[in-house]
Formats: sequence, C-alpha cells, structure tokens
Amino acid sequence: MSTTEMDPVFTAALREVLAATVEDTAPVRRRWRWRLRAGVFFGLTLVGGGVALAAGVFSLPGAPIDTPLGNVVTATRTGTATIDLGPPPVGATDLSLSLTCLTVGTFDFPNGSSMSCDASDMNHQPPIDGPASEVVPLSPGVDSVTIETSASATWTLQAQYVNRVTTHWSVNASGQTYGVQNQNGTPDLMAVVVDQGKTQGYIEASELNCASGGDVKSLAQALAWDTQNRNISIPVYESDGTTVIGTFVLGDATGPNAKTVPLSSLSLGC
Amino acid sequence: MVRSNEDEPAAWAAALDNDGDGFAAIFDLHRDRVFRHALRMTSNVHDAEDVTAATFLELWRRRSSVRVVDGSVLPWLLVTTTNLARNLVRGLRRYRALITTLPRSEGARSAEDVALDRIEEMRFATQVREALVTLSPSDAALITLTMFEHYSPGQAAAALGISDSAARTRLHRARTRMATALGAFSTAVGDGTTKEKSR
Repeated sequence: MSTTEMDPVFTAALREVLAATVEDTAPVRRRWRWRLRAGVFFGLTLVGGGVALAAGVFSLPGAPIDTPLGNVVTATRTGTATIDLGPPPVGATDLSLSLTCLTVGTFDFPNGSSMSCDASDMNHQPPIDGPASEVVPLSPGVDSVTIETSASATWTLQAQYVNRVTTHWSVNASGQTYGVQNQNGTPDLMAVVVDQGKTQGYIEASELNCASGGDVKSLAQALAWDTQNRNISIPVYESDGTTVIGTFVLGDATGPNAKTVPLSSLSLGC
Repeated sequence: MVRSNEDEPAAWAAALDNDGDGFAAIFDLHRDRVFRHALRMTSNVHDAEDVTAATFLELWRRRSSVRVVDGSVLPWLLVTTTNLARNLVRGLRRYRALITTLPRSEGARSAEDVALDRIEEMRFATQVREALVTLSPSDAALITLTMFEHYSPGQAAAALGISDSAARTRLHRARTRMATALGAFSTAVGDGTTKEKSR
C-alpha cells in the first residue's frame, strides 16, 4: 500500500458517509450567501506613487456597468442581526454591498468567512480603509442577509440591488484583447493607470504574470526569487500593445537600498 | 462515476440537488489530490486522512458558497485543505466525532511508518508546512494553489474570491516570505536541504 493513497477501508466508509449526508440533507430554501473579501482591506502596495490597476474605470472595454435599482437599504445593528432587503426589482442581477465596522469586533458571515476590525481600525477618522464594498451576484430567493458577531459589536450595512452588464473587451490590430479584468477573465492587455493617475495605458498580462512570479513553479525557483529590496518594472503600452508610454512597477521594496529593475533584465524563464 | 474533469460540473450540480452519488463522484474525482496535499501539510497519514474527510464534509456544509473555478471545485478543496491542516485541532473540531467512527484497515500505517518510508521527502514537507504557517491563511492558500498545484494566479484569485491584481500582488509578497522562511530553514539545516531540493 503506497503512502500516497488513503486507507481503502477508511476511504470506502467516508464515501458512504458523504453520500448519506448529502441524501439526508433536506432541501432548504436557498439562502443568500456572501462574503466580504479580505482583499478589500489590502491596498495595492505598489511603489511609484499612485500606481494602480484601472479596474473599475467604467469607460474602458470590459468594464461592468452597474445600474442601481430601487432604494439603498441602510441598517446599523449591534450584535447578530438579519437585514431584510425586500424583493429584488425586475432586472436586478447583483447586489451592491458596503459594510462598515463601527466598533472592534469580528463579523461572521453565513458562508463561514469573517472580517475583523481591531483597535487600529478604530483610531483613524475617517477610517483609512473605509467600508468594505462588494458587488455580489444574486441567487434566487435573496431577500435578507445575516451578520453574526458578538453582542457588543456594532456595524452598518448598506445594500442596493443593481443591474450589472459586463461590456466586451476591444481587440487591437495585432489581435490582442484589451480592457479591464472582469468575470470573463483577463484580457491580453490589462488597463492600468500610472504617473499618479495621469497616464492610462495597458500592460501585457503575460509580462505581469512573469514579473509577479506567476511562472515560478518550484520551490527551488521560489528560493531564487529574491525580491528583497527589489522591484520589477514592466512597460505600459498604448492599446496597440507596442507603443510604450510608461512603466508599471511591481513590488513593495522601499528605502535607500531599494532598486527597480526592468523585467527584461531578469532571467525568470518567461 | 465521474471519470474526467469534463463530467464534474454535472456531478456538482447533481450533488447540489441532494444527489449522494453526484457528491460521491466528486469525492472519487478529487480525493487523491486532496489527500496528497493533506499529506504534504501534515506528514502523517492518519492526520491527512482526517483532514481529507473534513475537507469533503466542509465542501458539503459550505456548498452554497463554494467557488467553482473553471468548472471545478478542486481549487476550493485545496484551499480548504490548507486551512484545515494549518490548525488540526481547530480545523477538525466540528467533525472529530464523526471521523473517529470511520473504520480503518487492520494495522493501519503509523506516522513512524511514513517517516521511515519517505524520510527525506517528509523532512522537506515539514519545512514547507512550517514555512506556510508563517503566512496568512489566504497567502498560504495562494502559495498552495500556484506553487504546488500549478494553478495560474488568475485561477487562484477566483478560488479565493479576490481580484486577480490583488492575488498577484499578494503572491509576490507571499513568495518573498516563503522564500525567506525556507531560506532560514536552509541555513539551519545546512546541506541537507540542498540535497532534498535536488531530488
């Protein structure tokens, strides 16, 4: 018996238990599930000041267009509570949500994920991160959401139904798609803004993948991935994918010893 | 039985309709990958089996919020395996009673058997696991999916429910931390690590 296989007796029993568990679970009315993404609280830590991916720039190809429907439901609660959102208006496809913690606490969502606000989050006015915002697809039967938290923790939720339409990416003369990332994936050329918002252009997804170590597939390569005090830059192009109009820097190295090197000067195997 | 990944969406849809066979098919399709990853995370066959069981029980409990990436629940399973294995006591608490009722083969292998059988591999796995523990849960999941299971950063982002750009930025950081942690181990154990890496 190989050590990379499960005990067959255990496996068979587990399989049986799983099937029985599924069969024995009475179908219930679908409850709306959602999560706040931890990523909301991570600002993109990119050097160069004001460098950011241009997701959410609505005029770009591939950007979603959200049309608000109905009223904004705002509720402030302390402790665990369920917010009734009312029936979704005709045409609603998604729900726009914004949750702000007003006290220190951990806020648990129906899917088991959670968000924590600690004392440092409370000490900034206005809060550094602001509310956690999210647009989540609707599921049939959506009409409420429950936030579970400790009895003394206070939070505010804003919710509004929206109709979301995802626009198409454009295609340049070389056949490359360009625009913003969306539910369909990543275009060949991803929209970015650099120079503190002054320049809007595109970076090659493949170059970003390479520069961010996306092709590092082994621990040996990871060990060689020395990013201490080093950032990697890649070109920013016009939508034609060839005219260079700027530089996009990836990395969070700062300080007197930090340096930025172009991707083309590295041998990362991609 | 699901015999290929192409059949998985239909099996998952059936499972969501309380079809036990559909869920069992998902189990058949992914149990080996999940178990191997659990073994990598625990270095102990018994614990890895427990984590595998808990992972699939979690798949059912959290079925309505599972993120399906490219038609597959496997990325979600692997992320969950990582999270459960990072803290066995807490991760398995919910299912401990159930799992202990599951029978095992006579003379089931012990951790010692495995250690003797694959001591070099397990030593390295221990280093990897301890390095992963130094990361946040989400960063550990990113490393798991991209470095060990060869998913693209975009697929990992989809599995974790974060934006692609956030995943790439965090992956960059996580790799640096991972390399730093593994580098510390390399320094601590001297040449041994180098030999293992070249295996």
